[in-house]
Amino acid sequence: MAASPTVTVTPPAPEGGGPGGAAVPRGLRYANRSLALAGTTIIWVALLGPVIALLTHLSWHDIKASLSAPGAFEPLILSVESGAVTLGVLVLLGTPLAWALARGTLPFPRVWEAGVLATLLLPPLVIGLLLVFMVGPFTPIGHLLSGLQLSATNTFLALVIAQVYESAPYYILGAQAAFGGVDPRLEQQAALLGDPPRRVFRRVTVPLAAPGLAMALAISWARAMGAFGAVVIIAYHPTALPLQIWTTLQETGLFSALPFALVLLVVALPLPLAAYIWSARARGRRRG
Amino acid sequence: MLAYNPNSKFAPQFNDIASGKKPISDLFTLMQQPGFQLGRTDPNTDPQGRAFIYMLELAQMKYHLPKNTVTKILGGPLASAKSTQIFEEAALDSRLQAGQVDAASAYLSQAKQLHLKYISLPPDINLGDASFADTYAKASITITDSTGKDTKTGSPLTIDITTLIGAKDAAAGNAFVAYVLSPAGRALYKNQGGYTLLTPTLTGNASDVPASIRKEIGS
Repeated sequence: MAASPTVTVTPPAPEGGGPGGAAVPRGLRYANRSLALAGTTIIWVALLGPVIALLTHLSWHDIKASLSAPGAFEPLILSVESGAVTLGVLVLLGTPLAWALARGTLPFPRVWEAGVLATLLLPPLVIGLLLVFMVGPFTPIGHLLSGLQLSATNTFLALVIAQVYESAPYYILGAQAAFGGVDPRLEQQAALLGDPPRRVFRRVTVPLAAPGLAMALAISWARAMGAFGAVVIIAYHPTALPLQIWTTLQETGLFSALPFALVLLVVALPLPLAAYIWSARARGRRRG
Repeated sequence: MLAYNPNSKFAPQFNDIASGKKPISDLFTLMQQPGFQLGRTDPNTDPQGRAFIYMLELAQMKYHLPKNTVTKILGGPLASAKSTQIFEEAALDSRLQAGQVDAASAYLSQAKQLHLKYISLPPDINLGDASFADTYAKASITITDSTGKDTKTGSPLTIDITTLIGAKDAAAGNAFVAYVLSPAGRALYKNQGGYTLLTPTLTGNASDVPASIRKEIGS
């Protein structure tokens, strides 16, 4: 914590010998800071409103009843598995695109960026409906898949596809920003010293972009775990965690559905939280 | 009824059955064909999902089809939610319109509203005729709900309407119900959904029902 970013900004004292920073009474400065803290607290608590409502409306009885039902944790395991596969797909396919976007090596870069933004803009439900046209059993892709004994309708594959589409833009835009923060001169230096491009990428670009990449992955993990809109359309079965909340809500009601929302939070939060902390520390170290 | 995809490879058979050239009983062998993509909703959460299964059970009895007909069509146990045939209701309709299933369960009103092609089913299996209530009750399915395992039996498809006890504006609620049941309200259903409401019947204590509403249903 020694390297907190307090050292960076020193506002220049106003000219003409007016009341400078030092002239502000200590009490006023303290009041100012408290006010800012109170303001941020209100915003933070308001943002957490739904989570607070969740925690205050759960009872041990409901949690026990819901979680002890046979097969209660199957959707959780499925969500973790499909989420992991989704992250793998994103890293494999999203990283090169994000890097190319960040380095501006593509012709008409704005068109490429607009494409990524378009997928971010579409409501997940609409993405799901459109995926039916794209990967349904009677589409060219559907035929291709069935030739491989696969199907993108109500299968694990369909679940992963829906999750990838819901989370990909978050990863790509995040990774683009992370790569964009790496000084290209450092890459050029390494290249001048004789490293081939692949090695430069692995030894220079990725380590420097790692904190940002970790954040991008953390956000897309959270998106994938919570994915519902596209999932409910193309992967009603097998049941992932968000869909379990939905079907439980319809089968047995609100109070047996809410515990699964807690499960979702407890399971999906540690990874992005760890990435967040690590990423903040790594950035702090670099600045200090 | 059963809505179908006019671009399905089974469309000629559907058309023949819909027009009466082929008997309805053919439908149930057609639905067992390999590669037949059937869409339905979750019987554990959605009444339509159950109604579709009742209909298959009733058809199996009516046409003396082999005993495993229903499970063959459903591709597994009756109440299983783990079926690739099961979709969210809105997803099912859009999937049928996108041409990505061969046939799907649907209510007649849905088929008319969404302009779907469909096969009408005889009244003794379509759950749409209150006079067959006894026949419908022969179909059953055991599902899981808030009370645990729960066996449900077939009954005529009804739309219930009621007012809330202690509602803030009870007079407006009563006026709304009376309007829905009035000739003008029923005409609206006919024009918009293209179907006629079953004769409204009153259940429970008649004296609890405001006179304005009792007048509309003639009891």
